[in-house]
Amino acid sequence: MVEFIIGIILLLTFFGLAYYCIKGHNLMIGFLVITIIWTVLPLLGTLFASSDFLAANEVLQYNGVLGNDGLVKKILNNIYQTAPEGWGTTLVNVCWGAWFGRVMMDTGIASTLIRKTVELGGDKPIVTITLLNIVTALIFTAMTGAGPVIAIGVIVLPILMSLGVPKAIALFSFMGSVAAGIYLNPVNFAQYRAFFIQPDQMPDFTLSWYAAHWGYAALIIMLVVTTILTGIFLKKSKTSRAWAAQTRGASTPQKDAPLYTLILPIVPVVLNIALGFSVIGGFVLAGFAGLFLCGRMKGTFKENCQLVNKLYYDGVVDTAPLVGFLLTLPMFNTVATYASPYFTVVLGEVIPTSELVICIVFAVLIFMGLFRGPLTLVGCGAATLGVLSNVASFSVPFLYAIFAIPTITVNIGSCITQSWVAWGLAYTKVESSDFLKLSIPNAYVTGILQYVAVFLMLTGLGAAWYI
Amino acid sequence: MTKDDLKQALQPIARGLFGKQGTNRYQRPVFTSYPLETMLADLTAIPPLAWYPYVFSREPLNGKFNDGQRREWMEKAWKCGEEYAEKMSAEFGTENPVLLANAMKMKVEYPTLPEKTDRVLFAEFRDPDNIRIYMDAVKKADRLLSDDRVREILTDKLNVSKLLLAHELFHYVEEKYKDEIYTQQEKIRLWSLGPVHNDSTIYALGEIAAMGFAAKLNDLPYAPWVMDVFLVYGYSENEACGLYDEIMTLVGKGGD
Repeated sequence: MVEFIIGIILLLTFFGLAYYCIKGHNLMIGFLVITIIWTVLPLLGTLFASSDFLAANEVLQYNGVLGNDGLVKKILNNIYQTAPEGWGTTLVNVCWGAWFGRVMMDTGIASTLIRKTVELGGDKPIVTITLLNIVTALIFTAMTGAGPVIAIGVIVLPILMSLGVPKAIALFSFMGSVAAGIYLNPVNFAQYRAFFIQPDQMPDFTLSWYAAHWGYAALIIMLVVTTILTGIFLKKSKTSRAWAAQTRGASTPQKDAPLYTLILPIVPVVLNIALGFSVIGGFVLAGFAGLFLCGRMKGTFKENCQLVNKLYYDGVVDTAPLVGFLLTLPMFNTVATYASPYFTVVLGEVIPTSELVICIVFAVLIFMGLFRGPLTLVGCGAATLGVLSNVASFSVPFLYAIFAIPTITVNIGSCITQSWVAWGLAYTKVESSDFLKLSIPNAYVTGILQYVAVFLMLTGLGAAWYI
Repeated sequence: MTKDDLKQALQPIARGLFGKQGTNRYQRPVFTSYPLETMLADLTAIPPLAWYPYVFSREPLNGKFNDGQRREWMEKAWKCGEEYAEKMSAEFGTENPVLLANAMKMKVEYPTLPEKTDRVLFAEFRDPDNIRIYMDAVKKADRLLSDDRVREILTDKLNVSKLLLAHELFHYVEEKYKDEIYTQQEKIRLWSLGPVHNDSTIYALGEIAAMGFAAKLNDLPYAPWVMDVFLVYGYSENEACGLYDEIMTLVGKGGD
């Protein structure tokens, strides 16, 4: 009975967290508070829970909170020290990825790639949009963070608008293709993988394996659906011309990067997927190649060091707002293990254990990935994952994919709470509702097709993929 | 402890906990500052056709052109705009953009949309017959125009709202006469692969002609691109100064 009451209280705190996230409050503090609550309640609960309940859950067998064998201290250290420390390896990838993004912008490689793409399409908006979507997706297989998205957005969006594409459609199409690229982004992959397993667990679950088994399909589905929907929306809409002004900031326009350097944005991903080359190694190699080939390393040794350092600084600043949140999440992910037996008491009979049913339920509830809701990993979804993965048993790649869809397709690509979407709305002066009218259908069509792909490609995996 | 004291003591905690995400922390650079009068005096002194490096810097296909083409197209497009201004005013018997818009049965709206970022939107034409003049920008400009020195530089001929309307009216005219108008007929071959090729119109030509059209109808003694800096100044002195710097550098260099 006590375990049931604690389970209900934990469930209420989960809904409280969902409400908190949806209201747009600070995620880091929210998850820190919920981690403390989920530490205190399950541990104290062991003092009053039935002996049957404790006997059935090994994770709670530590002689109660008052036990003097040091296990409680160990659990607390595990939650508040070991878990965030373990995320450090992921953070290193994020920092190097951010530096690489800055290099691609500073050398003019990213902007040249966009301009050359536009020069192929000309005044035919749908041709230009299709080409731009492909190139944008390719660029964001390696670059990530608000800085690079904004840097590319200030090039792409005015171009699309100048071609008469209504601003809401231009914004929706650009944000959709950014999200499509993120499906193969090694930094995002490492980041989300850490939600499910420790970096050293399941070494076979690499970007290469994931890409071949589902990642390519997810990217292609999102890219194709976004582009087709853009075409449909464009056909229904009226073209527009606007008189607007903005400064480019630079009095000397950036020169085009050499054509042969335009391949560099995808080099780290290709090296990683095709050759199993390290992600950071790829970033360093392609980043320095870009700096040298584009003539950015012609200064003195000291000047060159300063440039590399500045780009690193700017890149890390790009990702800084998320770091606090992402370093709090491992604590929450770990504490969910101790809360899960209580959830099982309440939800054990309700939560489906069939992969097909999970796919259908997630596809129907895809809107819950919006507004940092209970399905997105960069929101309250981390809590849902904690509940789901501990109450039922699913393979890691399957779990990864079913949560990647609401996180990437819905939150990153379609939601106004995503930092760069919020920037885009302010930049183009598109009403949130106008953007959502385009992005939500995309989230549903793309999401459903991606869940179909998950069911076809990632269900029924062998025991090696379970933890 | 009073209720207010307690509230004050708890406020920082509540703010920390329930403060909004605030991840949208995109910051614009800080530009050199110039007095508005200096900028306007410099910009109004630029002859209309000399604006071409700035105009083409906003053209998506600019990388495909050489400086000779830009100069030639600038001249032809500006002339095209002026010619259509004469043609339309003769056809409808008025040079007043408001009366012209009425005569052309345009649906003109004047929403007050606050602008918040570095890209300031002044006016929009939506096919087939909708024009929006964003009055927030216009009102801010009108307030700046109440300064005698600013009014003297920009002259009494400037009516910001009418100038924006005239510019957008040209886009309607351009659509109406798209089978014959210069801005829609001038094309550039982007690529060809045997018999397959892609020829494209040039977006900037329509904008240049719209400026010529607006300048002619309003009898403006300078190029309407001055408004880019002037209207942005109402929102952000910093952005306007950045834009002014960029224009003076581009125009000063005279293209390639």
